[in-house]
Amino acid sequence: MAQWNDYHHEDEDVDGEERDESGVDYKSTGRDSLVFLVDASKEMFKGEDEEPSPFDMTMQCVRSVYTSKIISSDKDLVALVFYGTEQSKNPRNSFKHVYIYHDLDLPGARRVQDVDGLRGEKGAQVAGETMGSGNTNLGEALWCCSNLYSDIKLRLSHKRLMIFTCRDTPHGGDSERDRQARTKASDLKETGVVIDLMHLMKPGGFDVSLFFCDVVSPPEDEAELGLQMEPCGKLEDLQKRVRAKEMKKRSVASLNLCLGEGMNVAVGVYITALQARKPNAIKLYRDNNEPVRTKTRLYHTQTGSLLLPSDTKRVQVYAGRQIVMEKDEVDVIKKFSDPGLELIGFKPMERLKLHHHLRSAVFIYPEEEMVTGVSILTLLRRCSVRNVFALCKYTRIRNSPPRFLALVPQKEEVDDGQAQIAAPGFHGIFLPYADDIRTLDTTQLPTASESQVDKMKEIVHKLRFKYRSDAFENPVLQQHYRNLEALALDLMAPEHIEDLTMPNVNMMDQRLGSLAQEFRDLVYPADYNPEGKTAPKRKPAEAAGGTEKKPKVEMSEDELRGHVQKGNLGKLTVPVLKDACKQFGVKVTGTKKQELIDALTAQLTK
Amino acid sequence: MCFEKETREEASNQVFAENKDELGLVLFGSDITKNNLAKDDQYQNISVHRQLMIPNFELLEEIQNDVHPGSQQADWLDALVVCMDLLQNETLGKKYERLNIVMLTDLNTPSSPDQLDIIIGNLKRAGITLQFFLPFPVDGGGSNPPHGGKALSREQQQGLEMTKQVMMSLDEEDGLEEVYTFSDAIEKLSVFKRVEKRPMAWPCTLTIGSSLAIKIVGYKAVCEERPRKSWSVVDAQTHQKDDIKRDVVYCLNDDEETEVQKDDTIQGYRYGSDIVPFSKVDQDQMKYKTDGKSFAVLGFTKQSMINRHQFVGTQVLKVFAPKDDEHAGVALSGLIRALDDLKMVAVVRYVYARNGNPQVGAAFPCIKEKYECLVYVQLPFMEDLRQYSFPSLENNKKYTPSEDQLSAVDSLIDSMMLVEEDKDGVKKDLFKVNHIPNPQYQRLFQCLHHRAVNPSAPLPPMDPWLTTALQRPLAVATRCQAPLETLKKKFPLKEVVKKKELKTSKELFGNSTEEPDAKKAKVDEEEDFNLADITEGSITQVGSVDPARDFRTLIRQKSLPFGEVCQQLTGRIEQLLGNKNMNYYIKCIPCIQTFREQSVQVGNADHYNSYIQSLKTSIPVRGLQEFWDMLVQDALTLINKDEVDGSTFSSHDAKQFLTAGEKKEELVAAVVDDTGDVDDLLDMM
Repeated sequence: MAQWNDYHHEDEDVDGEERDESGVDYKSTGRDSLVFLVDASKEMFKGEDEEPSPFDMTMQCVRSVYTSKIISSDKDLVALVFYGTEQSKNPRNSFKHVYIYHDLDLPGARRVQDVDGLRGEKGAQVAGETMGSGNTNLGEALWCCSNLYSDIKLRLSHKRLMIFTCRDTPHGGDSERDRQARTKASDLKETGVVIDLMHLMKPGGFDVSLFFCDVVSPPEDEAELGLQMEPCGKLEDLQKRVRAKEMKKRSVASLNLCLGEGMNVAVGVYITALQARKPNAIKLYRDNNEPVRTKTRLYHTQTGSLLLPSDTKRVQVYAGRQIVMEKDEVDVIKKFSDPGLELIGFKPMERLKLHHHLRSAVFIYPEEEMVTGVSILTLLRRCSVRNVFALCKYTRIRNSPPRFLALVPQKEEVDDGQAQIAAPGFHGIFLPYADDIRTLDTTQLPTASESQVDKMKEIVHKLRFKYRSDAFENPVLQQHYRNLEALALDLMAPEHIEDLTMPNVNMMDQRLGSLAQEFRDLVYPADYNPEGKTAPKRKPAEAAGGTEKKPKVEMSEDELRGHVQKGNLGKLTVPVLKDACKQFGVKVTGTKKQELIDALTAQLTK
Repeated sequence: MCFEKETREEASNQVFAENKDELGLVLFGSDITKNNLAKDDQYQNISVHRQLMIPNFELLEEIQNDVHPGSQQADWLDALVVCMDLLQNETLGKKYERLNIVMLTDLNTPSSPDQLDIIIGNLKRAGITLQFFLPFPVDGGGSNPPHGGKALSREQQQGLEMTKQVMMSLDEEDGLEEVYTFSDAIEKLSVFKRVEKRPMAWPCTLTIGSSLAIKIVGYKAVCEERPRKSWSVVDAQTHQKDDIKRDVVYCLNDDEETEVQKDDTIQGYRYGSDIVPFSKVDQDQMKYKTDGKSFAVLGFTKQSMINRHQFVGTQVLKVFAPKDDEHAGVALSGLIRALDDLKMVAVVRYVYARNGNPQVGAAFPCIKEKYECLVYVQLPFMEDLRQYSFPSLENNKKYTPSEDQLSAVDSLIDSMMLVEEDKDGVKKDLFKVNHIPNPQYQRLFQCLHHRAVNPSAPLPPMDPWLTTALQRPLAVATRCQAPLETLKKKFPLKEVVKKKELKTSKELFGNSTEEPDAKKAKVDEEEDFNLADITEGSITQVGSVDPARDFRTLIRQKSLPFGEVCQQLTGRIEQLLGNKNMNYYIKCIPCIQTFREQSVQVGNADHYNSYIQSLKTSIPVRGLQEFWDMLVQDALTLINKDEVDGSTFSSHDAKQFLTAGEKKEELVAAVVDDTGDVDDLLDMM
């Protein structure tokens, strides 16, 4: 099968690879922070064959994390520190051979540009000139990093340190330095820093057990995921690995999954796919481009006094009557049960309809591995073997109305490098209620003959590719951030984006050859134009220059009052209602029909 | 007559459905007579209570308050005639889609069947449909005594025969299906009808490359439906919307919060640490643009490559050929069938309209008995995905379940299957979510209705049918009792105390059980050496820059008495708290954490405990609740006896301490009982 890339001549350009996390609705308790500690020894600059050097790969990776942080979590702090350098640069320069390239801070356009400058051959040259390669003392480097954390005056909730290196014995057997580094690493770990090793290809293989096994943090469980991983030889692998670690997993809720009376299992609810959107614009003060704060106030139009939320009530109007409730009542109406997942029962997999989709699924994973994990795991296994899903009632927070989830078992999958590509757990798929399904009237049209279907099969065959969910970038977001980047860096024009959502028409036509024509001949008569406009209804009116507007319908007040009294204003059309509003001087805020009707009714029943 | 509830619910249903159906109400057997046909002794005791109108709350109230059972009798056939007359007069000159008469009666009145044929003829001619609601089932017939064992009276039997005759002659096959019992009615009517929305057609052209195009029409098939109206804010006293104004002001981020005019602000975006001014005009000019609607095939892929759980977006489209276009129908059918045979999908670029955001999605083939279509769902962009990795459950020895456990889970699944086969091999689903009306709106309309007619009464309890509809079906609930009990025995569960982000203090100071003590002692030793040697320099008092670090260093240096260092630290904390600002609070937290940790290490809890106690008492006076919440969150409670021998507090006291006046007990629970090795550590020192 052809790869997706084949359509887009170049190899996927990884540069600017970004991902997004927007819309995270967890309550943040502090900032996340990430320190890249990168080996700058000579070995890092040696590329094998045509592959980029480990250093180059690392810089690409750092860049992509920078840009993704900017897009998705712009409150996170990032730092870039090199060790094994000739030059030193750190506060008071008390650490030799440690070069702080970027302090722990928010990444910005300038920093992205800096990292760009370290990429490729030219970047290696720049690195050589500014930092050089020298002695290695990982202990000092780690110590320097720990100072980075402690100098931050903000509250840090998640602290991570990633070591990028291709040397498994950084101190070349100097046991004193090894010991010092281990000690410093455990100091860091004790203050809550998670240390990861991103080990890169080394001729002869990278042996983690020689030294680094004592430095890095143990994996979350004892399943030894992580340490047994092969070193990364490819940029793609490295990025995948960094990406999986770079974000702290945050559950949107931790709940009890209730299997039945007294059988509760604590689970976390995670979001693994959520549409990233363009962030809202912020208001800046014209004189200094500083952000301004907005304050919203409620006040009384008569007295001008400020109102507290408790001075207000909520109202809906139905059939001309105002129905009043307290704010609390409006909230409590939404309450059905306490937060949790309640098992209703099981259904065979084929009962999960493809088109029953409302919003992105959630991921359910047991919270406490110890005892409870076994029951969930067993359930997971048996559901998967028996091809059934669990139907659950899902109440996320206190006042959220219930939704039903199909819990679909997901077995763990790992790739060749032992990296997890699918985590074990349940996917929670939201099921629609009766109201959410629309009735469509369908008409039966003639169906295709076998020869027609066969011709289409040939077409389908020619245009096959391997779909990957991370193959498409969102062109709208990409363009937006390129624009911002260009403005921030005073570039002449934003970097060009490749729109992967556009069909590569030339390539497709070429592959299809005469097939498209053959299919057309099979299904369409000669005089049929499938691209022709369907009955251009509005055309004539437009052509006439819009002069032929419908004559204005004037309505007498009595007539209107009659309608109001009978409550059948709804039978009138929106333009007529609008005219009526104008006629009687009724102010309307909206343009919805119901709003017009409500306004008119209010006016005429006064 | 006992039709009151049904009538009310039908009417209320119509009010909230907000359609333009008009409703009239004719009572028969009433004490008064009020109708157009009444003459002499004809059409007596039949009263047209309400002409055809869009139903409103007045009608609901009238039904609830003013309609009382009359003591008279009236011919139900006469009433039917009055209704027909009403419909015909009131609909003169109006556009209508359907005329319907709903008859609620127990048929227990004598009626004269002589004009039955004429009535049926008129019904047919006017196209009026008829529904009957009776207190007994129609197929019960005369011979078996239905409805609570009471045999039908002669009038009822006669009435029933006539009903059958009317209904059968109106619709030969399904006539009797429009006859309901009262209990049917209550169930049917108490469900608020959903607000009907006419599906909007989205005409477009499906393209494959540049030379193959198929005309299509898309419809939203599944989408989260919301009520048409939302709450608006009114003044609590006057209930007037106009009395309230919301006002947005902009102010600079300075100490005075200087207000600035909206005109003096410009638009900008964050780019990481940069703030980039970016005017609307520039933005519109530079933004990504699409040139119109599109449904362009990018390629085809195996259905198995598309992960169900990666569907994004909030809707599902069904894509058909235009109704009047056979050729497009054949072409689309060719595509649908080809995809179905090959188990493949089309990956398409979808753009709703000019300058709409493009989507990438999958079009699945869907072949039904009555139609064929493509089902389109949006797929994620790379930016939408989060690749978390989770600890492996599978490859772990510790989690291997025993045979017993496997079979316990199996029998639970068996007992809780919601789809079962009946004796004829027909599969029956006991719990169809897509047949349940959205409970949120059912409840909302129930409360709105109640409040509308009883403005001062508290909200009503949840309708029982709704509660039941959301629960495990009774049959399944009974069936799974035993397997659940077995499961409980096979998987002894301990109730897990909800663990929030408790890690902070525990992790920070490493007083958990993870590492052997000897190692810890060594680490401490080295840290001493390191810290004293290089960075810290000479520290003689607790400074304001990093009080926690200074405190730690001073304690380690032992150059000052413990009590004095503590006093210096609390002095700094008080100084910081005096600022009443979140940033200062944040700075205080590590001070208190360090204070606590060092006190435990030194084995002297008095200073810490007395400070925390006095702090607590001063919280309300000084308005430091926000800060206290942070302490609670970090579980910085009193040092208990298990941690330091001299402490006068049990772990329970310590736990109570934070939660008193707070109800969040679960927050603290986990930390307290996890301090077992601190004693050992102290013993060694």
